Amino acid sequence: MFNFSIKIGGPAGEGIFSTGVLISKYFQKANLNVVYTMDYPSLIKGGHNTCTIRCSKKKIFSEELFQDIIVAFDKLSIEEEFKYLKKGGILICDENNNFTEKNINIIEVPFLKLLGKENYKFKNSFIFGILVGILGKNEPILRKVIKIYFKSKPEEIIQKNIKIALLGLNFWIQNYNKLFLIETLIEDKNNKLLINGNDAASLAAIKAGVKFIAEYPMTPSSSFLSFMAKRKDDFHIITKHVEDEIAAINMVIGASFTGVRSMTATSGGGFALMGEAIAFAGISETPCVIFECQRTGPSTGIPTYTEQSDLKFVLNAGSGEFPLIVLAPGDVEECFYETFDAFNIADLIQTPVVILLDKHIADTKITIEEFNEKNLYVLQRNVQNLNLTNYKRYKFTDTGISPRTLPGEDGVYVSSSYEHDETGWTDESGKNHKLMQEKRFKKLNLIDKKKLIPKLYGPTNADLTLIGWGSTKTSAIDAINILNQIGYCVNYLHFIFINPMDSLKVKKILNNCKDTMILECNYTGQFRDILREKTLFDIKKTFFKYDGRPFFYKEIIDKVKEVLKNE
Amino acid sequence: MNNKKNIFITDLNQPNHIIQWCPGCGDFGILFAIKRAIIQLNLDPKNVVIVSGIGCSSKLPHYIKTYGVESLHGRALPVATGIKYSNKKLHVIVVGGDGDGYGIGLGHFIHTIRRDIDVTYIVHNNETYGLTKGQASPTTKKGIKTSSTPFGVIDNPINPISLALTSGCNFVARGYSNNMIDLSNLIIKGIKHRGFSFIDVIQLCPSYNKIQTDLYYKDKFININCLKNYDNSNRLLAINKAMEKNSEKINIGIFYEDNSYLPFEENFNLIDENIKNININNLIDDFK
Repeated sequence: MFNFSIKIGGPAGEGIFSTGVLISKYFQKANLNVVYTMDYPSLIKGGHNTCTIRCSKKKIFSEELFQDIIVAFDKLSIEEEFKYLKKGGILICDENNNFTEKNINIIEVPFLKLLGKENYKFKNSFIFGILVGILGKNEPILRKVIKIYFKSKPEEIIQKNIKIALLGLNFWIQNYNKLFLIETLIEDKNNKLLINGNDAASLAAIKAGVKFIAEYPMTPSSSFLSFMAKRKDDFHIITKHVEDEIAAINMVIGASFTGVRSMTATSGGGFALMGEAIAFAGISETPCVIFECQRTGPSTGIPTYTEQSDLKFVLNAGSGEFPLIVLAPGDVEECFYETFDAFNIADLIQTPVVILLDKHIADTKITIEEFNEKNLYVLQRNVQNLNLTNYKRYKFTDTGISPRTLPGEDGVYVSSSYEHDETGWTDESGKNHKLMQEKRFKKLNLIDKKKLIPKLYGPTNADLTLIGWGSTKTSAIDAINILNQIGYCVNYLHFIFINPMDSLKVKKILNNCKDTMILECNYTGQFRDILREKTLFDIKKTFFKYDGRPFFYKEIIDKVKEVLKNE
Repeated sequence: MNNKKNIFITDLNQPNHIIQWCPGCGDFGILFAIKRAIIQLNLDPKNVVIVSGIGCSSKLPHYIKTYGVESLHGRALPVATGIKYSNKKLHVIVVGGDGDGYGIGLGHFIHTIRRDIDVTYIVHNNETYGLTKGQASPTTKKGIKTSSTPFGVIDNPINPISLALTSGCNFVARGYSNNMIDLSNLIIKGIKHRGFSFIDVIQLCPSYNKIQTDLYYKDKFININCLKNYDNSNRLLAINKAMEKNSEKINIGIFYEDNSYLPFEENFNLIDENIKNININNLIDDFK
């Protein structure tokens, strides 16, 4: 069962990520499992950018820290990355770098000589060909993958890229044929998808019937708008790039008020501008879904790197108290299914829902099975208990949910950001406010209770339970799989729904753990605090990572070993 | 727009909602003018949405029996935009004060004009922040003493008419809250105009603007549409008119009107789309 990883590094604008995606799709065609990650600074040209492509026959979820092959487009990449190359690994770089290092194979490739000045810009395809030479030499897949990747370009460009890639492949076969990681690779037809979190969530949103998206693009959330804008005519969606995040969220509320499923997406700084409107959605009981893709903070922070440090901020968004649902999908599949459900939940509970992602889950592509759409139903508005003779939009009911009319139908009312009585008319009395607060919070009881408890991965009676939320999941699962193979007994408790949470059940689950350790990518241990607040359970062992990078499963393994050794 | 049933004022009144405006407030005139416009155009109230921000004038949606949204200070235009995009069959009217629209909401004002969305925006311009008790607003004249400017306003006031014109608005008008019939006719024209229509209404505030009373305004208004040589299809002329410096005369009427543009609208209506069984197979193929 092989498992290896490639890292490609170089300046922005030279096609590093193209090469990365090409080789990822090459593996996808052979029905291998792939994890593709991107690491890039906030620049258009230059800087040091890398991508990693991990490939395995077994199911994998996260990236490798150490590489079997490193391709360095420039000298900086050699300097920065060689320390991540395993003993016996292959370093591919340009000639005349005068780089020497023991125990690795340094292959200097005279790119300029081989390609000439006019074809130098196709270097990324040439390198793809070289990688194919090291990894199975399958020419038909090489051609197929280039055709797919460049399908929007003119035919001559596609053919040019194929030609250059084959040059790379032949270069490797002629000079380094005995140096390979995979001898032969065969195509294996499959229906797997290679997809990242943002795109999976976007697909789910379209499937869920979103027809309006207003966004102010902010890394790493920008792909929502561009993904949907491309498909707007096929799916009859109105997509607007608006003047600021305040316009975005208020347009979304207007659209939802009118009965159209709508959404916006942003990062921490943009979300900060949306606070007032989120509280407006809460008090006016207007459904809406907001994606918050966390970046390294605080403030503008590090736009293209990751963190899990907006959790408490998001939970407390907006002034005052109102039901705000917050969930954090942990992998690409959860991005799809939980997003689909989120739109139903927002409509059912008539309240804002925040889906908390981060740069790591937004950008990382992984191979997954096709989505199972069989049990996906779009919730229809309940018009049964609509009493139009004495219509009250905010009628007190057993569940707290009041049936709503939409503009264009009988049953006019005014939706207001002020506290209001059952009809929507401003009411400042103490008696009414008390009842309205109770009504609004009661609505949360309708959420499927199964969603409000964490999922356990791994053996049930573990010596140590790792606890995490959001994108920690992928590295944690890879870590416990390996730890359990080498004689440890560790499991992972994964939280998706942060608010609401079934505190009583969660408290029982935590108390039943032999030992616990929390993993999260922030400095202050936000989720550790939230669990303590909700369950009085104090997680003493902590692993906080706050360098703008996600957990590597290897780091988790090392930490667990260290922690259990000291017991 | 034409409805089978005739709409009467009784269809629009909200007798249970006691109007909170001060006696003599110009908002009463604007409320009447809007109601009369809806009746003259025979709009079905369930197809009308009145969106407001926060302030005295923003209570207006509660006083008409149509759909309404009392949103946030300065944010009525984005909310109205979301509504109109979602169901283009609705008639959307936006109301709010000068503090709301020309202060905190100024950015949205210009971008909504750019979008040329088919809504009618009526600003209750009383040159003060009424609800918070009389502070200087973006249109308060220089030198005026208010609770926030006890020694007189030192900033220059906004000129909303010229701002709308230079931003590209295709229907720019000004009315007076006490000239209710004329104002109502402006509103009717604004609603009929396809695209964004903007009406700045000089509004009396007897509580906090005690200088600019009905007596102050007597004989000051010039209806530019009655002038022989005023062509309101000439934008540059309109800008000129809007920026005329004259403390004794105030221009009102339609400064500029261009009905030749049809604002871009999709050929589908979002609210009518069937979302029960959307097929995303083609999208998924992109990832295979």
